[in-house]
Amino acid sequence: MAAKKLRRAQLSQEMCERLSRYQITTCQDFLCLSLLELMKVTGQSYYEVQKLLCKVSRACAPKMQTAYEMKLRKSVNPSSAFLSTTLHSLDRVLHGGVPCGSLTEITSPPGCGKTQFCIMVSVLATLPVSMGGLDGAVIYIDTESAFSAERLIEIAANRFPAYFDSDEKLFCMTRSIHLYRELTCCSVLKRIMSLEEEIISKKVKLIIIDSVASVVRKEFDTKLQGNLAERSNFLTRGASVLKYLAEEFSIPVILTNQITTSLSSVPAIQADLVSPADDLSLSE
Amino acid sequence: MQREVGTLPLAPALRARLAAAGFQTAQELLDTGPCGLSKEIGISREEALEALQVVRQECHGDAARTAGESGATRKCTALELLEEEQTQGFIITFCSALDNILGGGVQLTKITEICGAPGVGKTQLCMQLAVDVQIPECFGGVAGEAVFIDTEGSFMVDRVVDIAAACVQHCHLIAEAQQEEDHRKALETFSLENILSHIYYFRCRDYIELLAQVYLLPEFLSEHSKVRLVVIDGIAFPFRHDFEDLSLRTRLLNGLAQQLIIIANDHKSAVVLTNQMTTRIGQSQSTLVPALGESWGHAATVRLIFHWDNSQRLATLYKSPSQKESTIAYHITSHGFRDVQPPAVTHSAEGTEMNPRKRPRTEEEKQ
Repeated sequence: MAAKKLRRAQLSQEMCERLSRYQITTCQDFLCLSLLELMKVTGQSYYEVQKLLCKVSRACAPKMQTAYEMKLRKSVNPSSAFLSTTLHSLDRVLHGGVPCGSLTEITSPPGCGKTQFCIMVSVLATLPVSMGGLDGAVIYIDTESAFSAERLIEIAANRFPAYFDSDEKLFCMTRSIHLYRELTCCSVLKRIMSLEEEIISKKVKLIIIDSVASVVRKEFDTKLQGNLAERSNFLTRGASVLKYLAEEFSIPVILTNQITTSLSSVPAIQADLVSPADDLSLSE
Repeated sequence: MQREVGTLPLAPALRARLAAAGFQTAQELLDTGPCGLSKEIGISREEALEALQVVRQECHGDAARTAGESGATRKCTALELLEEEQTQGFIITFCSALDNILGGGVQLTKITEICGAPGVGKTQLCMQLAVDVQIPECFGGVAGEAVFIDTEGSFMVDRVVDIAAACVQHCHLIAEAQQEEDHRKALETFSLENILSHIYYFRCRDYIELLAQVYLLPEFLSEHSKVRLVVIDGIAFPFRHDFEDLSLRTRLLNGLAQQLIIIANDHKSAVVLTNQMTTRIGQSQSTLVPALGESWGHAATVRLIFHWDNSQRLATLYKSPSQKESTIAYHITSHGFRDVQPPAVTHSAEGTEMNPRKRPRTEEEKQ
């Protein structure tokens, strides 16, 4: 949206030419200037510039929806809101499973089963909808080279022997899991940026990144000057693109993380238990 | 009328020509008339007429201000302000401890900022406020609508449904207890669908969309005049990446803050922003401070910091012009944002710790 050219924001041709002489070609350049600068650059009066600002803003601003419309849209297709993990207690706690349209993070100490979980969820996503899957392809970004195709087939054959009764079905399933090995932060980010087209062309229904922490910890040492800012820059950029993909295509995105030791004096954050019986407000 | 030409909001090229022709005050322009003006500085008659209309509008605005007339003026006495503040409503948060330290709830016409680590409850409070602003006046609310600008994507409709259902049920209980006619009438319109239809949701993906939306907000608020709450959930997120030029970021944030203050005042609505925490690395230790820098700290009138203490969530009022700094505990339940339940007063022997002068009840007296 930010890179939208001013021509498409319905400004007049001569105004666009005039602005391009000052190197203002996109909506981003236009909106980052103050009103006085805009007056100088466009040569218009104060009120005219405000009207122009509203015009350009309208070209960039998001569409309004009420919460009611959002709820109606969700309730129209309730089965597609979650990917069930087939672990019943986990599904119950998650209110249905891994939610579509948002990011889910799985963290644990090493060896607990994060990669195994990711492999299993990849199989589940390729299953048809009648069996609780998403009937689509999977994009698996592997930064630790921990993905094992043999293990994938083993899980599929043992878990769903009735469905994967022939080699043909197994190969069909493995063909729809697209594996990318990325070993640096830069390549991970580039891969995430390029995912939009892949999702459409390959009909992807699940994105897994295993794991974000390993590349970040390899490259960024937070004790060094300036690394903290760069690291958070990389992470927030990646996060915003992933959120956009998850929301736009309504697919789940699963990220895995590692455990670190917090050495500060502030006690570590613990989960808060939801209190089941809240009678206080009702008794007021 | 003696206003200098250089201060009028005309196009810069026009101002330069007027200065070159020797015009100094606005009165001179008005006296010359459009035809004379067009001949003297060499512009078309239509342009001259437009310029004169702008000048006239400006000068009339000036005259109205100097004569002390109300209207678009922002001048009043402290007494008028006091009367206004006393009749103004607050948006309650359903956590009475938090309402108390805020002086009644989230104030209208002020910017409130909520800072905290991830997962501590900022978005929960925002969703709670978006429902609470719609409580009818007879139940103690402001009967307004809400605008929710989401930059992080953490708005969950299902959660808002839970919170709204609990709020409606709470009001039903009050109405049943008090049995008044206007309570019953208000409840007819205070339903789940109505609550959800009056939350206007915008999803901004980067800072340009956020800037654009805030530029368009005054127009939107004029069309939807019942809006009393504007929530921007995650003002820090779009500004924390892709910014090589920090001075540009500061400038944009300051501009944003100014526009939000104008919106809060002109439309009599509360503006609630949520901010993230960042680590400031000092000489010996690192502390968590609100993100976006020191200069952003001046933008909000009221600042709340949410943090953890073991497994208890606490809210600290960090900055407020009228309330003193204090910390309270709060809870997030399936119904939404609530107080921490006080320890239950039991009728057994343990209850006497509260009041040592009372004779302890013996086992036989217990039911």
